[in-house]
Amino acid sequence: MALPLKYHWRNLFVRKATTVLTILVIAAVIGVFTWVTGFNSALKSSLAVASDDRKILVLKRGSTSETNSAIPVDEYAKLNQLTEMARDPNSNEPLLSPEMMTQLSRPRIRDEGKTWGNIAMRGVTDAAFKVHSNVKLISGRQFSTGAQELIVGATTARQFSGLNIGDELQLGYSGNREYTIVGTFSASGGPMESEVWGYLPSLLNSYNRTMYSSAALRIKDGVDPERVLKEIEGPAIQMSAWTEPAYWKAQTENIGKYLVVTSILVTAMALAAIFSIANTMFSMVAGRTREVAMLRTIGFSQTAILAGFVIEAVFLSVIGGILGCIGCMAWLAEMGNTKDMFGASSFTSLAFDIHLTAWTVGTALAAVVIVGVVGALVPAMRASRVAVISALREP
Amino acid sequence: MPESEIELRDVRKVYYKDRIDIPVLEGLNLSVPAGEFAVLMGPSGSGKSTLLHLIGGLDSPTSGSIRVADSNLEQMNERELTAWRSRNVGFIFQMYHLVPVLTAAQNVELPLLLFRMPSSERRKRVATALGVVGLGDRMDHRPNQLSGGQEQRVAIARAIVTDPRMILADEPTGDLDAKTSEEILNLLNTLNTEFGKTILMVTHDPRAASHGQRLLHLDKGVLERDERTPARAPAAVS
Repeated sequence: MALPLKYHWRNLFVRKATTVLTILVIAAVIGVFTWVTGFNSALKSSLAVASDDRKILVLKRGSTSETNSAIPVDEYAKLNQLTEMARDPNSNEPLLSPEMMTQLSRPRIRDEGKTWGNIAMRGVTDAAFKVHSNVKLISGRQFSTGAQELIVGATTARQFSGLNIGDELQLGYSGNREYTIVGTFSASGGPMESEVWGYLPSLLNSYNRTMYSSAALRIKDGVDPERVLKEIEGPAIQMSAWTEPAYWKAQTENIGKYLVVTSILVTAMALAAIFSIANTMFSMVAGRTREVAMLRTIGFSQTAILAGFVIEAVFLSVIGGILGCIGCMAWLAEMGNTKDMFGASSFTSLAFDIHLTAWTVGTALAAVVIVGVVGALVPAMRASRVAVISALREP
Repeated sequence: MPESEIELRDVRKVYYKDRIDIPVLEGLNLSVPAGEFAVLMGPSGSGKSTLLHLIGGLDSPTSGSIRVADSNLEQMNERELTAWRSRNVGFIFQMYHLVPVLTAAQNVELPLLLFRMPSSERRKRVATALGVVGLGDRMDHRPNQLSGGQEQRVAIARAIVTDPRMILADEPTGDLDAKTSEEILNLLNTLNTEFGKTILMVTHDPRAASHGQRLLHLDKGVLERDERTPARAPAAVS
């Protein structure tokens, strides 16, 4: 039969300082854990959106990102010979989008403009909206053909200042071309939502460019993408190509490394939390050996004693866990829930919206219960094996 | 003649420490009838507490047999002994051993949590036990809000709340002043005479010992004297 919960609950607050310190350690660990889990899940869901393997991204041979790729217009034209390209059912035009990539720099909202971030700016034509079919205008209007107008990805608009509809930006090679923001678009939370788009010929002109950065195309259903990639990379076209998921996986490689480092850090912190709980529980056991001996004497089993100390540790860790989750929510509310990271070689921001879902919080609380149980196990076993007679004789 | 509540036959207890055998009890034979208030006396190290622990099922003999409350303790394992203690024995300690974070009533309730019992029944029994020890008005006090004598009364209430057949008391007045000691001893007398509890009490104090009906003098692990005190008769066992 178990000891009453109020007995365990009240015992937590006998050594207030130790208990509070342990709770704070756990809260810190779980706060970071929740953030990392939320970020990880945001990254995964963002990349899940960019998982269309019917979409092929083409760069200059040897380039690894759009920012260091340049495709002359005549070479770009070679892509038209690809027979496996999907076509627009109405116009019968191939779903092939020439694109130009550059950057613009804007102050971050979260630190009130103290730091600036680079944003990928893509010059596109109407074809882009057919190839990147998940890109949808959500407010304002589409940029006009020939105009110096921009539409902004929703995540980027939330993260950087001066990107609202009606705002004007000085862009171009000499910074003297005035562009107006006329709309906001979504890309179902995918990486393109971190970008700003404008009319391709206008941007080429503003930046004195004659070459495209990349091309995006859509292949027919049922066609093996690997075959198309080989064709593009082959002697007739001689360019580099990736399916969309492979491209974004490579682009977010350093974010993956960041997550690995953060996960190692969180694991180390979790170990520290386990030791902190173990230390607290050892001191609780040491201070209550006579009490444990009395409980054993009057008939409580070793299992009841062991379970009791584990329950106390779980109480401690769950309180810490809840505080950690609340702390993480408060952090996201205060600092903004959008995190931007550099892509691998583009030096532009990829932004992710971090949301604490029930799954994230549930994972954090499950982790904290495991931390509590593991931390309590050895001290609880020691308590359950207290030498009753000698403990009763202790002064 | 009432039947024996405690029956020891050739009980030896040897502790093994630093590769040396330390005999504590040497072939002890003892019979305590139900309803008797027996007092164990003797110098320090004579084996009094060891004998009490053996009878309470907290320790096992090196050899010999111990039959208490119709059970052969030397044949029971740790789990069985734990369950047996909860049903048959109420323990009273010199240092009370109350749980500081629980109220008097919650302390007394602890042994009842080992039984399947509705909470209303538990509350009733706790109130009765605290009433018997005269602390019906201190139910919600924590141990640190009680005097030493009151704490020991709560410990006695905890010992009797399950209505055990016997009470084992290890120096129950060792930490109390003379007046409070007298009150506690009178309470034990009441439990013996009015409630028929078999009591075995270890004490160094001759005045405390005079409250029992029988004095058992242990020395160097041997029962040296076994005598009756003239004043009191054994309780009638229901």
